Amino acid sequence: MRDQLSYDDVVKNLQDLPSLPAVVMELLNSIEQEDIDIAVLAKKVSHDQALTAKTLRLANSSLYGLQVKVTTIQQAITYLGFQTTRNLITAAAVTGCFAEGACRGFDHKAFWRHSIATAACAKVLARHMRFNQDYAFTAGLLHDVGRLVLVSCFPERYADVIAYREAHDCTLLDAERTAMGIDHVDAGLALAEHWNFSDTMRLAIGGHHEPERPGAGFLATIIHVADAVVHALDLARQEDDLVPAVSTVAWQALALNEDTCLHLFRETELQFEEISMVLLS
Amino acid sequence: MSASFQHLTLSQVQPGMVLSDELLDVHGKVLLPQGTVLTAEMLALMPRHGIEALPIALAAQSPAEAAEERSRQLERIGYLFRLHDPDNGEDWAANSLRRLVTDYRTGKEEAA
Repeated sequence: MRDQLSYDDVVKNLQDLPSLPAVVMELLNSIEQEDIDIAVLAKKVSHDQALTAKTLRLANSSLYGLQVKVTTIQQAITYLGFQTTRNLITAAAVTGCFAEGACRGFDHKAFWRHSIATAACAKVLARHMRFNQDYAFTAGLLHDVGRLVLVSCFPERYADVIAYREAHDCTLLDAERTAMGIDHVDAGLALAEHWNFSDTMRLAIGGHHEPERPGAGFLATIIHVADAVVHALDLARQEDDLVPAVSTVAWQALALNEDTCLHLFRETELQFEEISMVLLS
Repeated sequence: MSASFQHLTLSQVQPGMVLSDELLDVHGKVLLPQGTVLTAEMLALMPRHGIEALPIALAAQSPAEAAEERSRQLERIGYLFRLHDPDNGEDWAANSLRRLVTDYRTGKEEAA
């Protein structure tokens, strides 16, 4: 077995990662700011045509049930609110940010299918729990982003992780810890720091495999359950997919009955189809 | 039943296909009832209602095909849950999820 990697090794390599468009960084950094000039931001986003087009297609999808078709970022903000629009811009930007094919055996498309499905499921769960749906969507989309950090910074080491997982048929998380010494949770936290994610988002990324840990926050519980549901529904369409450990504490906290689940599964599959059509096209 | 329909984008839908569910517009009004045989005229109007995908009924299955599909689903669910022991009482959360997904995929009355 080769040297184990540490958190610092990851941090040192973050500089080499692709950067998000400047305006997206600005949006992420302004998450708790009240006094930002929305008109200026909307204008900056509009200069990136691909980003604008993707964002507007998301805004016009049945996810939001808008009765008018929005045609500008400013309009999207008017109808959907600043929070929601910001999250859509982030989603559109992040899904196009990491290069494909750097690491042998890593299925980029399956990664994003899983992340998008988790975002959709988390959003439906959040609505059910009367929790902020925008936070849930974005956290669901980014909960495993540390995996892309590891794949991009250490492609050869990650190929070892994938080989180890196949040989032992364990979870990818366990394979990362054993074959690499660092997992996608810590790598995600490093990136969250680097990209200035809000505390809410950091907690969700850091706690999505251990939602019962004190201080993990309710969003971690939502993401944990959404992640398990999406694996169980087989939405990533990955041949060797598996359902990871499901926290009884988290499961109980959401108190899902049969009817709620039936609705949750259906709604997740529907929204997943629609969002992936926009984000993965 | 979830196993008997699939969502197709407008470009994949052909005239003659059958709606597996009633179709609502963005206001929640019923546009077309369940079981409608879609015509080219209807499909041409969909974009105007902001509809990009439709739930399409799959061709009726023979009992043998249905049984085969059901055992394929059960096998896949069993494989996905391979790290979980259905008899392990402490793993009840995963096992609840497994039961719910099984009901969802194969239909409740048959799974009971």
